[in-house]
Amino acid sequence: MPKETIKSGDVILEARGITKRYPGVVANEKIDFEIRAGEVHAILGENGAGKTTLMNILFGLVQPDEGDILLHGEKVIFKSPLDAIRNGIGMVHQNRKLIPAHTVIENILLGHPRAGNILDLKTTSEEISQLCKKYGFKIDLKAKVWQLAEGEKQVVEILKALYRGAKILILDEPTSALAPPEVEKLLESIRIMTSQDMALVPFITHKLPIVLTVSNRVTVLRRGKVTARLETKDASENSLAKEMVGREVIFRLEPVKVDLGKPIIQVENLSAYDDKDCLALKHLSFDIHEGEILGIAGVSGNGQQVLAEVLAGLRSVEEGSIFLDGDDITHSSSLVKWKKGIGYIPENRVDVGSVAEYSLLENVLMNYYFDGNYSRWGILEDKKIKDLTRQIISEYSVAAPGPETIAKNLSGGNLQKVILARVLSRNPHLIIANLPTQGLDVGATEFVQKKLLEAKRAGAGILLISEDLDEILSISDRVAPMYEGEFMTIMSVEEARREDIGAMMAGLKQEAQLT
Amino acid sequence: MRLGKYEIKLVPKLKVNGWEAALISFVAVLIALIIVGLIILKAGVNPLVGYKEIFAFAFGSKFGLPLTINRSIFILLCTFAFIIPMRAGLWNIGTAGQLYAGALGAFAVAFAFGAKESQGLSVSPAIIIPLMILGAILSGAVIGAIPGLLKGRFNTNEIVVTMMLNSIAFWFVSYMIKEGGPFMGGGGEGEGFKLLDPLFGPLVMGQPFTIIIALLLAVVLYLLFSRTSIGYQIRTFGQNPAAAKYSGISSYKIPLLVFILGGLIAGFAGYHYFAAVPGVYKITMNYGDLGDLSFYGIICGLISQMNPLAAIPIALLFGGLTNGGRFVQGKLKLGFGIDYALLGVLMISLVAFQFFYRYRITWERVKEDQ
Repeated sequence: MPKETIKSGDVILEARGITKRYPGVVANEKIDFEIRAGEVHAILGENGAGKTTLMNILFGLVQPDEGDILLHGEKVIFKSPLDAIRNGIGMVHQNRKLIPAHTVIENILLGHPRAGNILDLKTTSEEISQLCKKYGFKIDLKAKVWQLAEGEKQVVEILKALYRGAKILILDEPTSALAPPEVEKLLESIRIMTSQDMALVPFITHKLPIVLTVSNRVTVLRRGKVTARLETKDASENSLAKEMVGREVIFRLEPVKVDLGKPIIQVENLSAYDDKDCLALKHLSFDIHEGEILGIAGVSGNGQQVLAEVLAGLRSVEEGSIFLDGDDITHSSSLVKWKKGIGYIPENRVDVGSVAEYSLLENVLMNYYFDGNYSRWGILEDKKIKDLTRQIISEYSVAAPGPETIAKNLSGGNLQKVILARVLSRNPHLIIANLPTQGLDVGATEFVQKKLLEAKRAGAGILLISEDLDEILSISDRVAPMYEGEFMTIMSVEEARREDIGAMMAGLKQEAQLT
Repeated sequence: MRLGKYEIKLVPKLKVNGWEAALISFVAVLIALIIVGLIILKAGVNPLVGYKEIFAFAFGSKFGLPLTINRSIFILLCTFAFIIPMRAGLWNIGTAGQLYAGALGAFAVAFAFGAKESQGLSVSPAIIIPLMILGAILSGAVIGAIPGLLKGRFNTNEIVVTMMLNSIAFWFVSYMIKEGGPFMGGGGEGEGFKLLDPLFGPLVMGQPFTIIIALLLAVVLYLLFSRTSIGYQIRTFGQNPAAAKYSGISSYKIPLLVFILGGLIAGFAGYHYFAAVPGVYKITMNYGDLGDLSFYGIICGLISQMNPLAAIPIALLFGGLTNGGRFVQGKLKLGFGIDYALLGVLMISLVAFQFFYRYRITWERVKEDQ
């Protein structure tokens, strides 16, 4: 049980030699670190570095094969999250574990020992209000969770942990779903909590600046091992990235300039509906030339997804026309479009871009089953496909033992590499890349961007959809901010000012108003 | 979990190879036999004697073995009719209706060539028999196409559609063979007319030739799913329809195709039982029992994990046990329903043991240093 006299800086929890193996992979290898009261100790690592496993071990969801966890110097075994919670460990999940139809207070009380048969909402709400006051949270306890913004849901999860007496709070990607003002609020709450001698352990994949602002200590994981253990004041963005990835990372790629060739795709007056039967594309006209990247900048839900699907043949065109290399493909099916040289990298790589239960070989087949070079009389030529998959694995350095590896065992970054490689290996004339680097870590992001630039150099036209303005501005040739189904303008990237594009993404400025 | 001094753990398996799966199924069958053995014991009969009788009749006797083979072929064909749509993630609950349609199709061809009037055939049986088979599979395919078409075009629930079609086909057969229906047999006993001898399905080494087709189909379907582009498209659609659509696989053609293929094979099962099994050669009064029997195709398909080759021994087991179970029930005067109990427990056991396809149990001594 937590000791009464904890001072700031005391070691509360210690991990010693934590090792966890899964079939074919060592997720954690001899990991040591210590968590001190009143400090923020960030755990940093790329996808697949073993963060999730470590987090699950600390919270009792997974038992380590070797190694010990010491609480106040005494060895403890967390057989289940309940043990961890009883010992003062709280978890704030990235995918919120809340019941949307219940109120804030009901969610906080859920699973609490006091919530037996009768709910004493009055006492509870007083106690929670006091907690809110102590830590500076503002939240309506009677609101239903579905009504809350993402940042408020996070507050509910934090309160839930605090109300159960958490002294150590594990935060899984705490800033990933939050808008910038919400991030500010979270950072403020973190400062208050640490001033009350709480220990916070955020697990972070990207967002290195957050680590630098908020943490006291950083432990960096790479491939299941600790590669660096340092105080934040001795760290920089570059040094942390280097430890994470294992090599120098270029944060800004050099723009590649190639001479524009003839237009590949010409879109005129294109309109289409979304799933809710709302007009999601409103009379778009644009073209993309050989060797050109057109960056569509916008906040998700402004018609980018519909645009990508219409071009890929997955959604029907209401009005307008699409020409590819001079051929009318307005109403062609997606199969015809694949065959004619359109390559689509979908936003949802797990549910749309791949089949989780399939091997990598079968996933590569998704873009080759119709290819006459890979089948004869309808019978697939296994050897050719196997060779192609092997080539993809080695060329893109996919972390997988071989073509028979099942896709669901791959990390997000590796899966995206497979999808990208599969699409690019067809040498498409037009590449539609929908949020190609979303959720990827630093190393994988850089890799994907490099590959897109390579394809551009080889003469492909690319439609790049991204929410990340830095990405758009660093690799596009022209940029089109999109708002409510329309392009606010299309301008060359050299002329584009960051603030203007940002304002247009929010629908604030029209082209005519720019000076 | 702690058990005494041992720590028991469940470890997820990445892959199950064929031999392991076979061993797991074998143990499952053994366990089921032990459980039902207790029931037989309760009925005052030595289970070993009971099982000896069951297996001796089903697989070792002159009378029982042909029955077992005929039933097993029938169940195997129904399994294929279920497996093909299931690989595309669609449930064909309509094998019963499809096989009724197949039977009617076959007998319609015979009827058209004057088989009922028994005035001698104007055309050679070598032409009529293939046409009967064609009639059977086309009729099955047409009935099968309906849920496939509705699924692909309007995303209708295929389970509801196939079940309703079962009823329609059932009563249509009844209309055709009973009380003055066009296919009514001479005796007026509510049966269909009997085929003329030359139109009996040919025998190969004393067994209906359909056994060869059924075994061949197992290999063809296995290769279809593992080696061909169309098989890949069907599987992808079944695994993840959104990913299939993204890859350009038609969400209209695949449901239609798998249901046509399924219906076609179920139609052939109808031909097999009513036109090729020795001693039958007519649409029998109890044709509804065959519809019920076709549901073993679903069980068989699920247990074999949609693998057409693995379905062969399972179909044989079910064919034998439905047969032998009924036999010992009479011979040893066991209670009514012991055959169903045996099949029921067997199914539950086989399904329960699929747990071991995904997990393995390990135990280790807990260290005493705590």
